[in-house]
This record gives sequence, structure tokens and C-alpha cells, in this order.
Amino acid sequence: MNLAEKIVNGDRRALAQAITLLESKLAPDYMAAQQIIQELYPKTGKALRIGITGIPGVGKSTLIEAFGTYLLREQGARVAVLTVDPSSKLHGGSILGDKTRMAQLAADPNAFIRPTPAKGFLGGVGHHTRETILLCEAAGFDHILVESVGVGQSEFQLLDMVDFFLLLSMPHEGDEIQGIKKGILEVVNAIFVNKADGKLLNAAKNHQQMLQNSLHFSHKDNDTENTWLPPVHMGSALNREGVDTLFQTIKRFTLKSKESGKWIEKREKQTRVWMEEQLRDQLYFHFKQKYDLKKMAKSLNENELTPYFQIKQLISSLEH
Amino acid sequence: MANSDYSSWEELAKRELKGKSPSEHSWHSPEGIQVKPLYTKADSEHQNSNVTPHTLPGLPPYTRGAHATMYTGRPWTIRQYAGFSTATESNAFYKQTLREGGQGISVAFDLATHRGHDSDHPRVIGDVGKAGVAIDTVEDMKVLFDGIPLDRISVSMTMNGAVLPILAFYIVAAQEQGVKLEQLRGTIQNDILKEFMVRNTYIFPPQKSMRAVADIIQFTSQNMPRYNSISISGYHIQEAGADAALELGLTLANGKEYIKTALSTGLNIDQFAPRLSFFFGIGMNFYMEIAKLRAARMLWYEIVEQFSPKNRKSGLLRTHCQTSGWSLTEQDPYNNIVRTTIEAMAAVFGGTQSLHTNALDEAVALPSEFSARIARNTQLILQEESNITKVVDPWGGSHMMETLTAQIAEQARSIIKEMEKDGGMVAAIESGKPKRMIEQAATNKQARIDSNSETIIGVNKYRLQQEELLETLEVDNTKVRQEQMTALTKIKQQRDPQAATNALKALSLYAETGKGNGLELAITAAAARCTVGEITSALEQHWGRYQAQGVTVTGIYGQTFKEDENWIMIKNSILKFEQIHGRRPRMLVAKMGQDGHDRGSKIIASAFADAGFDIDLAPLFSTPEEVAKQAIENDVHLIGVSSLAAGHKTLVPQLIKTLKEQGADDIIVTCGGVIPQKDYKFLRQHGVRAIFGPGHPIPDAITEIMDLLNELS
Repeated sequence: MNLAEKIVNGDRRALAQAITLLESKLAPDYMAAQQIIQELYPKTGKALRIGITGIPGVGKSTLIEAFGTYLLREQGARVAVLTVDPSSKLHGGSILGDKTRMAQLAADPNAFIRPTPAKGFLGGVGHHTRETILLCEAAGFDHILVESVGVGQSEFQLLDMVDFFLLLSMPHEGDEIQGIKKGILEVVNAIFVNKADGKLLNAAKNHQQMLQNSLHFSHKDNDTENTWLPPVHMGSALNREGVDTLFQTIKRFTLKSKESGKWIEKREKQTRVWMEEQLRDQLYFHFKQKYDLKKMAKSLNENELTPYFQIKQLISSLEH
Repeated sequence: MANSDYSSWEELAKRELKGKSPSEHSWHSPEGIQVKPLYTKADSEHQNSNVTPHTLPGLPPYTRGAHATMYTGRPWTIRQYAGFSTATESNAFYKQTLREGGQGISVAFDLATHRGHDSDHPRVIGDVGKAGVAIDTVEDMKVLFDGIPLDRISVSMTMNGAVLPILAFYIVAAQEQGVKLEQLRGTIQNDILKEFMVRNTYIFPPQKSMRAVADIIQFTSQNMPRYNSISISGYHIQEAGADAALELGLTLANGKEYIKTALSTGLNIDQFAPRLSFFFGIGMNFYMEIAKLRAARMLWYEIVEQFSPKNRKSGLLRTHCQTSGWSLTEQDPYNNIVRTTIEAMAAVFGGTQSLHTNALDEAVALPSEFSARIARNTQLILQEESNITKVVDPWGGSHMMETLTAQIAEQARSIIKEMEKDGGMVAAIESGKPKRMIEQAATNKQARIDSNSETIIGVNKYRLQQEELLETLEVDNTKVRQEQMTALTKIKQQRDPQAATNALKALSLYAETGKGNGLELAITAAAARCTVGEITSALEQHWGRYQAQGVTVTGIYGQTFKEDENWIMIKNSILKFEQIHGRRPRMLVAKMGQDGHDRGSKIIASAFADAGFDIDLAPLFSTPEEVAKQAIENDVHLIGVSSLAAGHKTLVPQLIKTLKEQGADDIIVTCGGVIPQKDYKFLRQHGVRAIFGPGHPIPDAITEIMDLLNELS
């Protein structure tokens, strides 16, 4: 059996190794991984892909533990979790500690958790998360949870990979909505106000109200047949409270957007984004391999051609 | 007339130091205190009058001693902590100890018991009877104290997680001996807050755990007036790597939190404060440790005063001490006798009320009969041969000691203040901050040792060419577990099922509604022969089980070794590996079983990440099967198992077997921690590729692991 067949057969090790190939910096590994994905491509696309974002410390891992075990136990799901840990740039390596907050999920035979060290880019989603999702789907996981640290533009990248986009928030002191990036309220499908327990319960209620108001404002339309007003839920991931409501919301969203055709529309758009990414990547690598970029850059310093015309020239040479 | 002109001294010192000024010659202690080469009257006068020799022992603020006459009247209590696998063996040991000059009993429980699991629970296969005695029901407790009069012998029990069932078992065992509650004397550790920062032998979340603490304080203050309801422990904080000031600050801050918790049950300060006791660790930092104990009494008096006590004894800090386990080495182990002696002297000069001296082999195993005897004799020699006991607070009035006392007190005060600012200890712990502070101190300390800036004889200096193998005690864990399981089955068959069910239901209702006293209900359940596991589960239904947060620090090794040639070589070899394999070396750092001592694994994670590894951390308390699953999913190159509680011989072979079954036996397995030399062969035969004992410098371990990894195709 080759790796692809093993993956379909539910071989956990094969799935893990394929992800390693995909993330490898060696070109032959990466190509091997792309071959596998090509082979498995018809078997992908059936899972529900859920993206979860929020600032560090908001409780993403804890929510995934609560929500993931809920999916396993109450919904009989098979759950794959993909996380990206920010690397320590200064010292080279990284510590991937998310699983320490996902003890039950990590132990469950119906769950697969793969943290990826973020190399080069800070936090966010990995460069190959999109393809990793496909590998997990081919391995039979029907719910894929992707966690992204809300750093840089990463949550917008994540948005282009998932069906449902959840923002995790928590109560703050004062009445400002802090820590929520501009633009994010326009794209979320739901918000979960975490840590609504103990002393923070009242603050959480206020926070929930505030978020709901802002969503009304930014979405204008109410919840109608064709539009979706993102609900703001409240709960405590630590106490496993609020995950059922969250699941019902996701279910309702799925039904609604499938009926309205928006589901397919979104997936088609995502495939296009993927293709465009590939266009950029492959062209870049093609040129990088073919030409001595260093030398080209050097000639720039001699003021012969601007980078604009240099690349223009390159492309026209390619077209002839 | 002697010449007492400071500048003449300075002049002379400068000459002896070949031109360097004596102030450059100061030592910066890990606490951040500048220890000067000479102290004079000017230094001690500068300090707060509380610590000057104007105060007297037995009188507030108690800096000079808890009692007026201290050891001149009666020496400290020799109290050796011990627990052997079974209640029968432990009982025999306690009786022997009492015959041979021991003055109290201190019970060590196995980790399964600590975590509220019965011996037949599937998660505790490697833990039963390891590192202490296995107790499942009150019947075990009765065997433990058989023939030991509990109305006269004081019993100290190190229990924090499963406090309710264990204290209940002790009480019922005593009652069935015919002893009355008010006669019971001893201490239960019952210090759950530090468990969340170090050691991790908790069961329930912090808030719920504090409820159990409150109930115990309430019950004992009303029914067991001679019983210490809590032993607020700095020891484990120091063992986890904290310096003396951090240990002191966090411990006293915990103490303050317990006061507030007890007050919230409606008690007044004098009803319980006199029964709060302390427990400090004593390391090799000799002067600082003495100063710490003196400062501890002074600060505790200050803290309790804020609650306006009427009873003189409320603000009096009484403490047990234990010499440091971390300071012990596996290498050249007889040196440990000397280390323990020095630490014991510091504890005694600091004015401890009771003392445990470590056995020389405690770095690698449970004490043997021989090593336990030497440890006990260390104290007897101090008490009976040295005449140290003849003077109260002999360091009182030393310019150096009074200055250090004031300085360390000041540091601790600011830590207490910081915790207060964060909303008290429960809130601070929930935020993970104190844990991070300790881990930072621990990683710093290990980096100092590995970089030779802190000397350990026989480890990083004067290392022996050839180590002698030490005879150590071994526990046949399978046999103990089997015996416990048979007994459990029998007890469950013979008890009144209705009484047991009712008692457990009542506990569950208590956990749900918060009504009643948990200890009182646990006593009923204990008498009905309910087990540790059953009582815990009844509470867990509503309280839940706490999951540790994986806090880690990074950057300390990288910083310490930045210029080190060897370190740079290591980093380069990792970069080379990455070029060849397309990714960095990836290692899963795992702990298995109920062993929650995670200092070692955290330091390993931090140092390896600094060197360039990608480190996966497995959740605490994993099973071998769970670890194998994670190793496979994360496609790691190797697994580093950290074992500190003797479960390695059961759990590691199980891990390797599981890997093999899943076709993943190419994943390298290595072990580190408290593993006796004589087990190395066994582990290697079972497929362990490298073993790193205590004192093995981490950079060397990384090099050895890189050699293993480079054998990969």
C-alpha cells in the first residue's frame, strides 16, 4: 500500500507522515505530498471545516477541548484539530504546548491533533494548512477544527479555508471592545464569549451585549432567509458550558447556507484563492530556480533597470 | 584599642584582591540580593528595628524564635518522611523508627492515592505503591497505624489532592482504635494552592479545592483542637526551582489566602490560626536559608496582625523543614550526607520545630534501611553531640544575618504584594503567573549549573572517573497492585452496600449544592468502607477534574550559552539536520502515570527549544498508549520520557510495545529523571536508546540525542 491508500485506510501514521512531507522544506518531499493530495483529491471536501480565532489567552485550546470532546461524544464525530504555534524566532525552535490543554481530545481514538510549528511567519495559519485539511478529510475526519492565533492577517487567511468562522472573545475591563481587530466583525459567522464564569460572569454578559450591538450595526440586515446575523454566544470552555448551543448554531448555519447556495459559492471561491496562491508560488519558484535572483538584484544596484521592467522582461521572455 | 576604621579595611582588602574593590567582590545571590564580603554594624543598624537583636525569642515578631527557650528546653522533633508500598511494610518501618529515636510519623502516600484513584484504576498501573504507601480504604489505614497509639504519637500526612477521604480514613481508623477526636495530634499538609504551581497532585479546580480546605479547617478547629489543619508548604516550591525569596513570598501569600478562606466559613482568626503550620525546604544557600526562616516568622506575624488576633499564638509561625532533594546528586552519592548535614544545620540555626533529613540515595530511589539510618543519625548527632542546641538563635545580632533577614523579608513582601494586586493567590494561580515565575527561576538555576557558574561537586566539578553502583531499594509494583486489588474486591463485597451508596450520594449532593461539611460527609463514607476513588468520583461529578495549563518559558538557555562554543556547535548540528531532513528535529516530551513533577520536563522542553528543536508537550498524567498516539500524530523523531516517581519500569516498556504494535518503532525513546543506574540495563533491553540521570548537563544530552538522530537515514 502506498501512503495515500494507507491514509484512506485510516492509518494514523501515514496521515501524520504525509503532513510532514507537505511541511518539509525539501522539494522532493513537497512534491511527493502534492502527489498524495492529487490521488486523494476526489475523496476530500466532505468535512465541516471550522476556523477558530482569537487573541492569545482567550482560551482557544480549552474551547477546542470542550467542543471537540462534545463532537466526539454527543455527535459521534471524528475530529481533526490543526493548530499553529508561534515559533520563538530568536532561538530557532518552538514549544508546541496546546495539547496540554486538550488532554481528553488528545487521548481519544477518534481525534487527531497536529500542531505545526510556525516557521518564518508569526502565528496564524500554516502555509500548508489548506492541504492538511484535505489530507485529514481523506483520512475520514468529518469535523476539522483549525485554530489560528490572531496575529497579522492570519485570520483572514483562515477565513479562506473554512466553512464556519468563529471568533473567540472574552470579557474585558471597561466598556471598550478591545482586542478585536478592525474588519473581523464583518466576516465572523459567530462569536463565543468565553470565560463567562465566576467573577467574570457579569462582565461577560455586558461584553456579549456590546458585541451583539456592534454586529447589528455592521450587518444592518436582520436574520432573514438569505442573510445570517452572527449570534454572540456566551459560555465557559473550562467548565464545558455553551458548546451545545455553539454546535446548534453551526448546524443551523450549515443548513441555511447550503439551502441558499452560499456554501458552494464559498467553497468555489476558496478553491479559486487556492489556485491563485499556487499561481504566485509556482511562478515564483519557477523563476527562482531558473534565474540567479541574487545576480539580478545586484544589477539593480547599478541602476540599469527598475525591478518593474526587469520582471516584465522576464515574463515576456517566458511567453515567447 | 582595635582599629575599626572601615576605610583601612577596604584599603587592605583591595591590596589582597590585587586592586579590585571589595564591593566588586560581592556575590549576587539567585534571590537578587548582593551578599557582601563583610558586614558591619552600619549594615545592621540600617535595617528595620524588627530584626535587630533588640527583639527576643518567643515574643513578637518572633524573628529570633517561635519559643522563648527553643532547643535549650527541648530539641526539634526528628520527623522522617517515609512510606513503603504497602500499609504493612510502612507500619513495620514506623514502629522501628519510633523504637530507634524517631519522634513522630510522617506518611508518604503513593501517587494513585494522591490523585484520588483506587489501585485498580486503569490509569495508575505504574503508580501503585511507588513513592509511598497505597491506601484505598480505611482498612489500609488501620493496618498502617496498627499498634501505634494515635492519641500519643503525632502523625503528619502529606496529602493535598485526596485530603477529604484520607483525613477521613485517619479519623475513622483512630476512632476504631478507641481514640477520641480531641486527642488526635498531627498535621495534614492540605496545601492545595502550591500543587497548582508545582508538583501537580491536585484533583479538583482551585476554587473547589479551596472549599475542601475550608471544610477541613472548620471541622478540625471545632473537633480536633490539637491537630494542625494545614501545613503551608514552601518546600515543593523550592524543590521546583524557586529561590529562597520566591519560596518565602509565595508560601506566605498562600498562607494569607488560607486565612481568608477560613474566615469566610465564619470562624474567627484565633479559632484556627494557631493550628496553621508551615513547611520549608532548606537548600545549600546556607546563610540565606537561616535568614529565610527568621524572616518567615517575622512576616507571618505581620500578616496575621492584619486580622487583629487576640491569641498570642495566632501570629506565631511554627514550621517543619526538609533538606533539599534537588541538591542531592546521583554522582558520588556519599557527598549527599555532607550536603544534608549542612542543610540540616541551616534549618536548626533558623529555628525549625521539626526536621526531615534526606537519605543519601533519595536522588534516585526510596531510602534503604542503611541510608535512612544515616539520615536520622545526622539529626541525632546535631542534637546530642554538637552542643548546637545550647543557645537560642545563635546568629542573632550577626551583622550579616540581621541584614540578610531584613533583605529577604523585603523581597518576599514585594512578592506577597504583587500576588495581592493580582487578586489573591487563587486568581494569581488561575492566571499562571506564579507558576511561570517558578519555572523561570528553575530554568535559570539549571542553566547556571550546566554552564558551571554554580558548582556541584561530583557533577560539574571533580567528577569521578568511575562511579560506584549504589544498592537501592526496589518496589515490585505489580505485586503490590495485585494485593491491593484483591483487598478492594473483598471490602466491596463485605460492606453494607446501602450505607456505602447513601454516603456517596450525600457527598455528591454536597458537591452540587455546597451545603454541609465535606470532611464530615467523608468520615461517614469512610466508615461505610467507601474507597478513595469512590469518594473522589462522587465529588468529581460536580466539581470536575482540573487540567494543568502548559506554561513554559523560553530563551534562558539560549541566553546563558549564547557565547558557548559547544552550544553554538549544537545549534549548527541542528541546522544541518534541518537542511538534510527538511524540518527541525521534533521531540515529544512526555510524563506518564500520576507523577506530576514537571520541573524536569519543562526545563528540558525549554532548553531543547532554545537549541532549535520543535518540542511537543504531552498532557500530564498520560498513559503509554496516549503518548504513543501523540508521538505518531505529531510524527516526532523521538520521545523524551521524564520520570520522577519510579514508574519507568512499567510504563516505558509499555510505551515501546505500543509504538511497535503501530509500526512506529523507528521513533526513538529516551528517558530522563530519577532512574537508578541499576535499571539502565533493563530499560536498554526494552529498547530505550538513551538515559539521562539527575545531574546530566542538558547540552550534553542534546549532543547525545543529535548523535542518535544523525544515525537516521
